[in-house]
Amino acid sequence: MINQPEAHDLLTEARRVLLESLAPELTGERKYEALMIANAMGMAIRELEFNAQNKAEEADRAVLSLLETHGLPGHNVECESSLADAVRERQLEGGSVALRKVLRTLTEARLGINSPGYLKR
Amino acid sequence: MSEFAEAFSWFVVQQTGARSAKVITFEKLSGGAIQDNFGLTLEIEGGERAGTQHFVVRQDAPSGVAESLSRPEEFRVLQAAFEAGVTVPEPLWLCENLEVSGQMFYVMTWAEGSASPRKLVKSDLTEEQRRTIVRRLGAELARLHNVRPPVQSLDFLALPDPENAALSRVAIYRRHLREIGEPHPVLEWALNWLEDNSPEPGPTVLCHCDFRTGNYMMAGETLTAVLDWEFAAWSDPAEDLGWFCSRSWRFGANEREAGGVGEKQDFLDGYREAGGIEIDPTAVSYWEVMALVRWATIALQQARRHMSGEQRSLELALTGRMVAQMEFDLLTQIQDLEDGQ
Repeated sequence: MINQPEAHDLLTEARRVLLESLAPELTGERKYEALMIANAMGMAIRELEFNAQNKAEEADRAVLSLLETHGLPGHNVECESSLADAVRERQLEGGSVALRKVLRTLTEARLGINSPGYLKR
Repeated sequence: MSEFAEAFSWFVVQQTGARSAKVITFEKLSGGAIQDNFGLTLEIEGGERAGTQHFVVRQDAPSGVAESLSRPEEFRVLQAAFEAGVTVPEPLWLCENLEVSGQMFYVMTWAEGSASPRKLVKSDLTEEQRRTIVRRLGAELARLHNVRPPVQSLDFLALPDPENAALSRVAIYRRHLREIGEPHPVLEWALNWLEDNSPEPGPTVLCHCDFRTGNYMMAGETLTAVLDWEFAAWSDPAEDLGWFCSRSWRFGANEREAGGVGEKQDFLDGYREAGGIEIDPTAVSYWEVMALVRWATIALQQARRHMSGEQRSLELALTGRMVAQMEFDLLTQIQDLEDGQ
C-alpha cells in the first residue's frame, strides 16, 4: 500500500512546526511539555531511520556471533534476551573484551536513537 | 484545593491550641511524583505558634512507589535526622487520621530557597563557594551517619542482609530487573561486576538514599534544607556518598564530580572532618556504579508504569529511554575503574 507522504516525513514536518512555530510562543510548564514532545518525536524519527537502514539487524548479528563463539544458541528475535541470560549466568566470562565490545555496540546504537548528543560528550 | 487548606488549617489549630487560624496563602509546590507538597501560610490567633506562620504540608499523592516509606515512617526518619543535627525542615505534627484530609500527612517548617538542580549547577559560583557548599553537604551526611541501629522509633527500617549492604542491594536490583522482564545485558554485566568487586562493608548507619543535587534547598549559596527522605534506609555510608557523586546527578557538569557543584575530594573532606567514617575512595567509586544500576532499574520501572497503563505519562515514557545513557556511563565508568583512572 502506498500512503504518501510517509511516516518519517509527517513526523519530521510536525516536529519542525512544533519547534519553530509553537514552542517559541510558550513559556514555563507548557514550553517544557512542548520540548518533551519534540524530544519524543525526534526519537521516533531516528528509530525509523535506524530500522530503514537495517542497523538493528547489524547489532543483532554482532550479538549472535558472540553467542556462537561460546557455543550458545540464539536467534534474531530474542538475541538480546539470550545475551542477557548468558551474561547473568556467566557463560561469557572467558571473552570479556569481546563481550564489552558487543555491549558497547548495542548501547551506542540505542543512544544514537535516544540521545545522540550524549555520545559526543 | 481550598478544602485541603481548611483541613490542614483546622489540624494546625488543634495541634497548637490556637483559638483560630486564617489561611493567607495555599499553593501546591513543584516536585514530588510520589507526594504532594503544599505551602501553607496561616495567621494564627493564640496557642503556642501565634502570628504569621509558614508551613509545608507533605501528603501522599494518589500514586506512590511501593518501595518508599509511608508518611508516618518518613516523619519519624525526619525527626531522627533533625535530632542528629542535619539541616532539615523541623518536623512538627503527623496526622494519621484519614478523616482530616483523606490521606495521611505531616506538617513541617518552611525552608527558604530553591531545590532546582539546573539553577544551582549553572549558577556563577567561585571555586571557594563551590568548596564551601560541597564540604557542607559532606558534613550533613556525616551527622546523619551518626545515627546507628537499633533506634526504637525507626524499627520499621529493615537491616541490610546478609550484613553486606552492597550484596544486599545487588540481590534487590537483580530481582527488580527480573520483574521488569526486559533484557538489559549491560545491567546484568554491571551487576556481575558489583557482585565481584564489593569493598569491605562499612558500618550500618542511617542513610538518606536519595541525597543528591535536586533534593536539597539552597538560598543563594547557603544550604537551607535536605529534602525527600522517603527512601531512607539502614545501609553502608558509602552508598550516600556514591549516590551524590554519581554521573547521573551532575546535570551536565560532568567534570564536577560532587553533584555537578564541586570537587569530590572537598565533599569527602567535609564528610571526614565533620566526624564521618573513614571511607576508602574506591568504595565511593564502587557505590557510584551501584547508583547507576539503581537509577536504571528505577527508570525502567517508571517506563513500565506508563506502558502498563497504570499511569500514562510522556515524562515516564521518556525516562525509560534514558536508560541507554546510564548503560553507557556504566560501560565507561567500570572501564575507567579497571584502568585505574
